[in-house]
Amino acid sequence: MALPDELLAELDELILNYPDRRAGLIPALHRCQEELGGWLSPEILEDCAEYFDMEPVEVYGVASFYPMFHLKPVGKHVVGVCRNVSCELRGASDITSRVCRVTGAQAPGRNSTDMRFYVEHLECQGACADAPMIVVDGVYHENLEPDDVDTILGELS
Amino acid sequence: MPDVIIDGQEVSVPRGTTVIQAAEQLGIFIPRYCYHPGLSTAGNCRICLVEVEKNPKLQVACNLPVTDGMVVHTRGEAAEDGRRAVLEFLLANHPLDCPVCDQSGECDLQNFYMKFGLYDPRFHEHKVKKKKAVQLGPHVMLDQERCILCSRCVRFTEEITETGELGIFNRGDRAELAIYPGGVLDNPYSTNVVDICPVGALTERESRFKVRVWYLSSAPTVCNGCSRGCNMDMHFVLDRPHLNDGRRVVRVKPRHNPDVNQWWLCDAGRYGLGWIDEGRLGEVRERGATSTWDAALAAIARAMQESDRSRVGVIASAQLTCEELFLIREIFDGARVSAAVPEEPGACDDFLVESDKNPNTQGARLLGMAGPVIGDTTGGLGGSADVPDGQAIAQAARSGELDVLWVFGHDLVELFGAESAHEIAQNVGLLVFSGTNENATVELAQWVVPTAAYLEKDGTFVNCEGRVQRIGRVFAPPAGVREDWSVLLELAERSGRPRDSHEPRTIFAALAAAEAAFAGLTYESIGTLGAPVAGSAARVMSKAEPTP
Repeated sequence: MALPDELLAELDELILNYPDRRAGLIPALHRCQEELGGWLSPEILEDCAEYFDMEPVEVYGVASFYPMFHLKPVGKHVVGVCRNVSCELRGASDITSRVCRVTGAQAPGRNSTDMRFYVEHLECQGACADAPMIVVDGVYHENLEPDDVDTILGELS
Repeated sequence: MPDVIIDGQEVSVPRGTTVIQAAEQLGIFIPRYCYHPGLSTAGNCRICLVEVEKNPKLQVACNLPVTDGMVVHTRGEAAEDGRRAVLEFLLANHPLDCPVCDQSGECDLQNFYMKFGLYDPRFHEHKVKKKKAVQLGPHVMLDQERCILCSRCVRFTEEITETGELGIFNRGDRAELAIYPGGVLDNPYSTNVVDICPVGALTERESRFKVRVWYLSSAPTVCNGCSRGCNMDMHFVLDRPHLNDGRRVVRVKPRHNPDVNQWWLCDAGRYGLGWIDEGRLGEVRERGATSTWDAALAAIARAMQESDRSRVGVIASAQLTCEELFLIREIFDGARVSAAVPEEPGACDDFLVESDKNPNTQGARLLGMAGPVIGDTTGGLGGSADVPDGQAIAQAARSGELDVLWVFGHDLVELFGAESAHEIAQNVGLLVFSGTNENATVELAQWVVPTAAYLEKDGTFVNCEGRVQRIGRVFAPPAGVREDWSVLLELAERSGRPRDSHEPRTIFAALAAAEAAFAGLTYESIGTLGAPVAGSAARVMSKAEPTP
């Protein structure tokens, strides 16, 4: 079992919120991803399967279904660019290009070569009123011009 | 018992019955991809849409339990439009590579398109590309583009084998059936996923690209791989030797029998039939030289008449049918006869596979030609401790106590070692071997007579639970090869013990008249699903269907 004891204790607490143990799988995967390096390795998936008494293949099916779970290593900072209607109409493509240029990632879905950044496309994040927007390590940045991207990403360590 | 009306016909079904099952009882077929009676309900393919009165939307028949007074329409504009739309979605990304697809001709996408679709395709976009030839394991190939994600195979590996190799990964039009990363689909029942795949996504490596399905003939039979006797359909080609490398047997499909194997078959049984078309004996031989049936049977009959009965031995086989064992018992009355030989128990599991790799040990027991089961699980069904076993007969032959020894199919070298087998051959006046394939005993026997494989003859086996099952006759034996029963009948004639029977059916009638366990059974009452012998523990969930 590669899951640390503190995380397991947290999961024990978490599953109490659900009528069915396995219903806690998705929040558990989120916590594992947050705590264990930003992505879900095969070992983590297999440990989760064991914890939830499921077949690894089922856990892998769930994890591969949702794009917010990463099944390959990601860079230190995860930069998501929304590409749904409102953002697209207000220049999301330009934002995407700028994010790729600044980070050095070749395209959304790729890491920068120095592994400082992972860039991805996002579906609607519910911030249409202030489109376009990006999400950097879980924090929203809205109503952007391409130049804002330089500032936001420049401030990161 | 809720009453439901489907397409104007009323039926009463137990609570919990789904609409698709109730319709089946009325003979109304509702199309299905994901629904399989042997698996849990998924309800994801949506092709079984029906109209239910007082319901605003179409409902899936596979996942809708009937309620009292429910009125269902499987036909009519609403249901037919719904099904057509579902089919159009399912086919949107389908590669339509039917000309090179092995499923073509038995594909439910083709069948349901012709029956329920017949729309003009409107999809002009590029289809999603996926992997076309993924080897999942030793027997199964996957074409991800053809897959409609019904999840039957996933549920099979989850619920039946509980091995969990297969899953559906990713989402939307990228969703694909795949094996767990690094895994391999090689459980003992893996090929069943090919049988239940309604489309051409999963195909068998062994029969892939060998024969188009419309060239296949099919006949019902029973597996001889172990004492379970799983029911199966043999798919074969006879008149096109350029197909399937000249072999007759192309593939095997499980035949549903709720009391024996349900819908399933193990891979060992499915792929254990190569011997039928390979290394077969094709001619009568005397000391290695080609001879004739006439010469062989005359010589054997003469030797039998000249010998004292106690100096005649028969090592019969639990691979023979009840009819043949019965003939042996009657014709060799007074001789040393056994159908039991020392054999190492084979692999077994708690599902279908039995450790006794003979299909008719139970039949031999009931006929008093094999000893009882050690650690009996059948409730003491037949088998007498006084029966000599094959080893005792071989020992007698070795020490010169026998003038005639007839060995049915067994390889003495394999059973008793080369040294013993050679001594037997030297010390017995006349050693006769009858069987299907070449083996080391063939070299030692004075007379070798080629006999039919079980698929090539009619007869019955009794499975480990005491169920008599008819093996039918899938195709004729090769030229020059005769069924054991016919050889035995002629021998009876020539040795002055003629029988009234002339074919397996009448031999079985004589057997049923002579043996209490078989009393009252006929080929008609055995039917295609078999029937339990008297006093057996065999389950009787279904009523046997009469043969046509």
